Amino acid sequence: MADESQEITLLETLDHLLDRGVVIAGEATISIGDVDLLYLGLNIVLANIDAVARSSQK
Amino acid sequence: MKWVVIGAHLKREDVEPIANVIPIGDLFLSAVPIDDDRPLGDRDLLMQVADVRAKLLDRATFVAIRYGFAVRDAAEATSKCGGLTTRWRALIEAHRDEVEMTLKIAAAAPTARPNRHDFSSGAEYMRALHASAHTADVDPSFRDGVERALVPLTTQHRWMHRDRSSMELAMLVRRRDLEKILDAGEKLRKEFAAVPFLLSGPWPLEVFADDHQQ
Repeated sequence: MADESQEITLLETLDHLLDRGVVIAGEATISIGDVDLLYLGLNIVLANIDAVARSSQK
Repeated sequence: MKWVVIGAHLKREDVEPIANVIPIGDLFLSAVPIDDDRPLGDRDLLMQVADVRAKLLDRATFVAIRYGFAVRDAAEATSKCGGLTTRWRALIEAHRDEVEMTLKIAAAAPTARPNRHDFSSGAEYMRALHASAHTADVDPSFRDGVERALVPLTTQHRWMHRDRSSMELAMLVRRRDLEKILDAGEKLRKEFAAVPFLLSGPWPLEVFADDHQQ
């Protein structure tokens, strides 16, 4: 039970580290091994889709 | 050598000696040094940054920079962040005695992921994918319970959709009210034993410092 709780805490901590906070423009790529994780880039894309959705509602 | 940036702080003493300081304008970035060839996805580095981030928050509230931002020197940091410092300073000064807390709640009925084959264009599919993450909802009685028990203890709050299976409540909370928030969370757990949720924090200024969430 304690292990499970520690695991959840660790996951939550990493979630906040990797997916929250201010995104600085131009910093879009993180690599693990030879694989580029483009989630920051994806985040920028999603923000743009938000803007598209908002402007189409106007 | 490069520097992995963690946050923006009001005072140099909010950072040292927990992390290194990179001055930008009248603010101070906290950072940890790494070798040029060390990948940012290194597990030990992630854990180190998470640990430093928590220690910095114990010291004082700061604006969190999303992991992945690394610079070579103060000049590069200033060129990339210089235009943001006025806003960051105002944020930190306004919320100096506050931290963020997060309540993550499982959706009452998770929505289905759109199927790519149902869309004629990639753009339509991306829009549908994005929209599907904004439709999850939580048990209304639980949400009422949260509004009653937690929200009055916050200075600001924001309900957010993050994915198809959960919702989140981001809260700004006075540091002195942290215990009250945790107690209220325990009461919610007893009152709504069937609703899976996770109350976590304290966190630095993340959601409330992130422009595109607003």
